[in-house]
Amino acid sequence: MEALPEFELLRPITIAEAVAARRSHPAARLLGGGTDLVVNIRRGIEAPGQLIDLTAVAELGTIKANAEMLEIGAAARLAAIAADDGVLAHYPVLAEAAASIAGPTHREMGTLGGNLCLDTRCIYYNQSHWWRSANDHCLKTTGAICHVAPKSRGVCFATFSGDLAPALMVLGAEIDLVGPEGARRMPLEQLYIGHARHDGSSGDGKRYLALLPGEIVARVRAQAVPGLRSAYDKIRIRRSIEYPVAGVAVALRRAGGVLAELRVAFTGTNPRPVLLAGTETLCGGALDEPAFARLDALVRDQVMAMKTTFTPGHYRRRMAGVLARRLVMKLFAG
Amino acid sequence: MSEAVHTIGGYVPMVDGPEKVSGRAKYTADFIEPGTLAGRIYRSPYAHAEILEVDTAAAAALPGVVAIVTGADCDKTFGVLPVARTEHPLARARVRYRGEPVAAVAAVDDATAAKALKLITMKVRELPAYYTARDAMAPGAANLHDHRPGNIERDVHFELGDVAEGFAEADLVREKTYHCAEVCQNQMEMHAALAEYDPVRGRMTVHASTQVPYYVHLMLAQILDMEMSRIRVVKPHVGGGFGCRTETLNIELIAALLARKAGGGRVRIVVTREETFITHRGRPETEIRLKIGMRNDGRITAVECECCQRGGAHSGYGIVTILYAGSMLYALYDLHRVKYIGRRVLTNTPPCGAMRGHGTVDIRFAFEALIDELAEELGLDPFAMRRANYLTAPSFTDNDLMVNSYGLPQCLDWLERESGWKARKGKLPKGKGLGMACSHYISGASKPVNWTGEPHATVKLKLDFDGSIVVLTGAAEIGQGSSTILVQSVGEVLGLDLSRIRIVSGDSEVVPKDNGSYSSRVTFMVGNAAIDAAQNLKKLLVAAAARKLDCRPEDVECLGELYRAGAQDKGVSFDAVVTEALREGGTITVTGNFSTLPASQGGKKYRGAAIGGTMGYSYSAQVVEVSVDEETGVVTVDQVWVAHDCGKALNRLTVEGQVQGSVWMGMGQAMSEEAAYHEGLLLTANMLDYRVPTIKDSPPIAVGIVESNDPYGPFGAKEAGEGSLAAFLPALANAIAEATGLRFSSLPVTPDRVFAALEKRQRDQRAVPGKAA
Repeated sequence: MEALPEFELLRPITIAEAVAARRSHPAARLLGGGTDLVVNIRRGIEAPGQLIDLTAVAELGTIKANAEMLEIGAAARLAAIAADDGVLAHYPVLAEAAASIAGPTHREMGTLGGNLCLDTRCIYYNQSHWWRSANDHCLKTTGAICHVAPKSRGVCFATFSGDLAPALMVLGAEIDLVGPEGARRMPLEQLYIGHARHDGSSGDGKRYLALLPGEIVARVRAQAVPGLRSAYDKIRIRRSIEYPVAGVAVALRRAGGVLAELRVAFTGTNPRPVLLAGTETLCGGALDEPAFARLDALVRDQVMAMKTTFTPGHYRRRMAGVLARRLVMKLFAG
Repeated sequence: MSEAVHTIGGYVPMVDGPEKVSGRAKYTADFIEPGTLAGRIYRSPYAHAEILEVDTAAAAALPGVVAIVTGADCDKTFGVLPVARTEHPLARARVRYRGEPVAAVAAVDDATAAKALKLITMKVRELPAYYTARDAMAPGAANLHDHRPGNIERDVHFELGDVAEGFAEADLVREKTYHCAEVCQNQMEMHAALAEYDPVRGRMTVHASTQVPYYVHLMLAQILDMEMSRIRVVKPHVGGGFGCRTETLNIELIAALLARKAGGGRVRIVVTREETFITHRGRPETEIRLKIGMRNDGRITAVECECCQRGGAHSGYGIVTILYAGSMLYALYDLHRVKYIGRRVLTNTPPCGAMRGHGTVDIRFAFEALIDELAEELGLDPFAMRRANYLTAPSFTDNDLMVNSYGLPQCLDWLERESGWKARKGKLPKGKGLGMACSHYISGASKPVNWTGEPHATVKLKLDFDGSIVVLTGAAEIGQGSSTILVQSVGEVLGLDLSRIRIVSGDSEVVPKDNGSYSSRVTFMVGNAAIDAAQNLKKLLVAAAARKLDCRPEDVECLGELYRAGAQDKGVSFDAVVTEALREGGTITVTGNFSTLPASQGGKKYRGAAIGGTMGYSYSAQVVEVSVDEETGVVTVDQVWVAHDCGKALNRLTVEGQVQGSVWMGMGQAMSEEAAYHEGLLLTANMLDYRVPTIKDSPPIAVGIVESNDPYGPFGAKEAGEGSLAAFLPALANAIAEATGLRFSSLPVTPDRVFAALEKRQRDQRAVPGKAA
């Protein structure tokens, strides 16, 4: 195993201290469980001089989940989220997503904030320094081209693979950020800017979060929606450890025999978690074959899946559709 | 009354278990003394290039750097096969794969060594590189090695019997091409070596994570140009190997070169997981064209097999691998007309080697998948078809392999019964399937790769005043349990509790030479030598007891802790017998040997025909039950039944563990593992992308031990650690065939491949109106 380079570890115990530490060390990286960041540091992908460990900030570690609302701090552990009675009872999609992340030891260490800000991944990026040097690096680091799409003209297609983001997005979650300029709140989907538009009008696999300099993810929150049913599922080649080949979260509300509300979100496919647009067009009627065909069309239109993993993009796109359909059917049936 | 202790056939915990489970066991990387230098290897970023210059000046000038070696420091070559020693520990003149060692640094600490590596540069003239066997063999391709025109490492051809006539006699002939991806071993411990050079005495000591300390010894002498007597090789605890450590690796050689260049002292190299992958020696990517003829009654009438392996940039075991693939077509079934064409190809990828089931696995996948297909087409039950092709023992195969015991029929009987085959096959709900297949393996190669004329195995026992017996062996305990088996074997002969017996394995200063742990040779060969040694010791003890008891030696009864002259005699204790035995010459050492029968050493019918010869073939048969999700292509293995004929289970605990481990490793190759490259760069050199199954993917595995009592095996035993790997692959494919109607000929069968095949079938059915189901 490659030894870690030297770094200074900062352990703030309040949010104010964390923001201050971030301000004094603009090049520092925030550390949750380290299950992603430390691997990247070992591989020489980055070598921050300071790591700011947020897991000692008590106010970031709380989980509140009841029949009215959900509020989880960025430093809450994945295993704790998966096992929380309130989350299990009222926000099952989140418990399922948390329980499906990597392996048991990763979930003991990993945090909400770390999973939401998980670095995007690519087979040409998640390699050692030697490997990337031998391959002339890539857009996401210091290279000139994207090896996934050499004609991408500056757009990086590295894939977002966090499991919690889609689960929270279908719950309509908002995210609280704190920074040197104060606090702000936004719908969670707005945190992710990796639309990878060719005209450069958006972020991409390299610039994938809307965080401003010095900003820290503090917590996520959501209001409970009466009658909302939710679930998460994903495909992976092995049943543990792996990042999702395709992950899907669904939340829906049923009014009699009619689909009243539907939210679907994906991970493991695009440089951002995708909250499927246009699902309202499926609502208000029966859940029949034409409705599923429309759902498939939305998925095909919005899910990207480039060759950033060993599993072909075609398969990942198709699985996104299959899982979405299955979850919708299951939840609708109740 | 005292009774002799027997452990053979029981569930016996590993003798080195307490150290391992408590973390006290020391592996090569754990020997860190103050002053130990950190070694690091600079690896080629180029796939194929002429080296014009390796500039180490800036690295040498870095404070803390003690020694740097490059190809210029060593013009000697190494390799496990005397006919193919073409590899330099550090590349000279040419690099042939991305990751090949070019230079190495020893520095005061790891950070300095890492920094020094970044200061090394190389200038090259790039050459055309070939990442597939097909490209490397294409007309006009540049040669990787001047002495191997066309990049063919070895061409094998044989035809035994009239194959054309055999196909003419068949009622059904089918031909198909199979493709198996390259796979790697993935043992827990990353490669490590610790070299200590004593410049005063001119001696070198090397600790290495190896399966073959003797071969490391030989190659160190060759590479360092040192007398063997000045070298000591120590094999501490080893965290697995599965074949990637059955030859000397460049890591231990580079550590030694650095230690000497440093003018003395210790150099420790512990490579990363990525480097462990790149050092490779896994199973090559293989393409197999197979044609088989079968009669209506299931008899196989002829086999024609063409096998092409992408061997990588250096030979390693390659010649042996391509020969095994051909010779081991035999010895499982009664075959008489067989044609084999094998090609081992040199490519600009890391060198492959002798992975568990060496040479036999991919061929067995193709064979068992194709005969299953033939049987289905002929309306035959897979068990019945295989029963129509049984061998008999003792016998010789057409390629002169000596079959002394044959438990395959009992394996099939157990399997058919336990899996409920007759009641369930063909009657499972949609999406479920049962598949079966067989495989076999050798219990050590009867002709070792380094033929010296010495016995195949030698064990020494030392008995001293304290009444303890020390087993001295070069057999490498690598986690497979060889030390436990040897201790049990000695204890069994002497009737003693295992607490009296200690074992020292793998330090050339103390133990007799042994060829090492590979080709499943240790239980059979070293086990027999241990029994021989124990019997020799027993003779001395019985003679001493006879003197004490004032009787004839043939009248002495040995009950382990008690020796007596008949049931009514109260006898003398073991301790008293030992005291008497030591009276004349002091501490006793005895030797036990084992040599294979010349008749088992293979034939001369074709070049390389000796490969495959052994004194005992193990047999295995498996049933795999799967569920296939047709919407996602996800295959779930619900249950595996495996019967393994190991002759005699000396230790049921380790036999069951080895058989389950083999099944599990076969499952990895069949379902998820694949070494993938991007222009010769190994993309999957980590535990996330190289998909070894996790415990959550592991099905229940029911093991049935079949004991055919081999006439030459130690207590009747044969191998148990490799033979059950290969059968999983075709058994899975055959099960998926029942579940989906699709026969997969490419491995691994990942969900996306299953899905793609299902999609294709749907398209094809739509394209042919009226054929839709």
